[in-house]
Amino acid sequence: MTEVVMECRHLWKTYQPRLTAVKDVSMRINEGDIKLIFGPSGSGKSTFLRCMAMLTPPDKGDVFLREECLTKPGVNLNKARARIGFVFQHIWLFRHLTALGNVELALRRVLKLPKEEARKRALEALKEVKVEEMANRYPAQLSGGQQQRVGIARALARNPDIILLDEPTSALDPELTGEVIDTLRDLAKMGTTMLIVSHEMPFAREIADEMIFFDEGTIVETGSPEQFFTNPQSERAQKFMMRLIKRTRRE
Amino acid sequence: MLEGVSTTLAISIFSLFLGLGVGLPLSFVRAYAKGYGFFVEMFEKVFRGIPEIVLMLIFYWGVGLYFPFPFKSAFFTVIFVLGLRSAANQSQIFRGAIRGIGEEQMVAARSLGFSKLRSAVHIMIPQVFIFATPGLGSEYALLIKDSSYAFIIGVLDIMFTTNVIRKATSDAVTPYLVAAFLYILLTFPIATWLDTWGSRRKKKLGF
Repeated sequence: MTEVVMECRHLWKTYQPRLTAVKDVSMRINEGDIKLIFGPSGSGKSTFLRCMAMLTPPDKGDVFLREECLTKPGVNLNKARARIGFVFQHIWLFRHLTALGNVELALRRVLKLPKEEARKRALEALKEVKVEEMANRYPAQLSGGQQQRVGIARALARNPDIILLDEPTSALDPELTGEVIDTLRDLAKMGTTMLIVSHEMPFAREIADEMIFFDEGTIVETGSPEQFFTNPQSERAQKFMMRLIKRTRRE
Repeated sequence: MLEGVSTTLAISIFSLFLGLGVGLPLSFVRAYAKGYGFFVEMFEKVFRGIPEIVLMLIFYWGVGLYFPFPFKSAFFTVIFVLGLRSAANQSQIFRGAIRGIGEEQMVAARSLGFSKLRSAVHIMIPQVFIFATPGLGSEYALLIKDSSYAFIIGVLDIMFTTNVIRKATSDAVTPYLVAAFLYILLTFPIATWLDTWGSRRKKKLGF
């Protein structure tokens, strides 16, 4: 039986004054699942991902990590967040720390691992994303693709239950997206549970178990990549897929 | 004269650290605990708005009557007043730095499971110092200069010894020129060094 890693029920988030970013979204992610969210910009994908990690608390609805309800008052959210990996669109590495320092910090200060073990695990994580030779460089001395791979290593090193990735390649130059996608492909092979917001369509088709089309703050359509590529059900998804596929061809 | 220099230096350095100890937490209160912002603002307004010489006299002659410790000592009174005035300044310097660093670093820290306080300690504060170096350098220079008011309540600093020498030698020019030179010597190299170190660091880290 597959175990549910993360689940949300009837999630709502409204920004002031009347901009509803997430409308009644429910989703369940099982162990080893790779789900890919896509949809027009401003459709609430990022807000939804942040609500799942409780970085932005939702207004209504519940989020569960394993059996634990994170939206109940009194839950230790710091402990919960320590079990969720988050990769940001604009990377957001700690600029005053080296690549190794970025990965190591939470291992030492959140998981409280002894120094040697934290270092060992941080180096392993950097190796997994193939930037171990850059371990002693500062973020400003790395390329965008290398930075994002360090960002992934930082999220990965704690062995989180799930990794949430918010458009991990969209802030990068096209020639740098490839190396990040290769990294994600490796993670997929290792059976990492992931919820990814991305518009990299060939990649989505290759690794996603399920694709979710988001528009105006809510899930419009859910299905296998095959279904989206050959026969999307909703008209909005059809139009959006057409545009994406055209753009990808041009590139 | 040398004793005067060490007193001036001691006043400035102790007030700088008192200002740091009070000002740094205040800047975070003002940036992240918005409810208490009003009190921080009042504190800043009071200590930045009143001339330090007035504050020194109030605390030394006024408050000192009721609280002999620490205000019976002119030396501690000066450090107290300059330290809190510096705290008000530093709170603003650090708040600017926090703003310059941006919310993102905090969000990234929290996504790893750091609490707000621990994010501040491990991620924000090391960067705040790099960001704030030019401001801190001029704050230090300001403290060296403002410590010269201390002779009015009888602290044996550079100005006090200068006055003693002036009276003893009846030379009204040379002692002051020497004092001026000493102040430059105390302020300029350290402030400049801090500034250069900060800009180098910033360049390297891509701030």
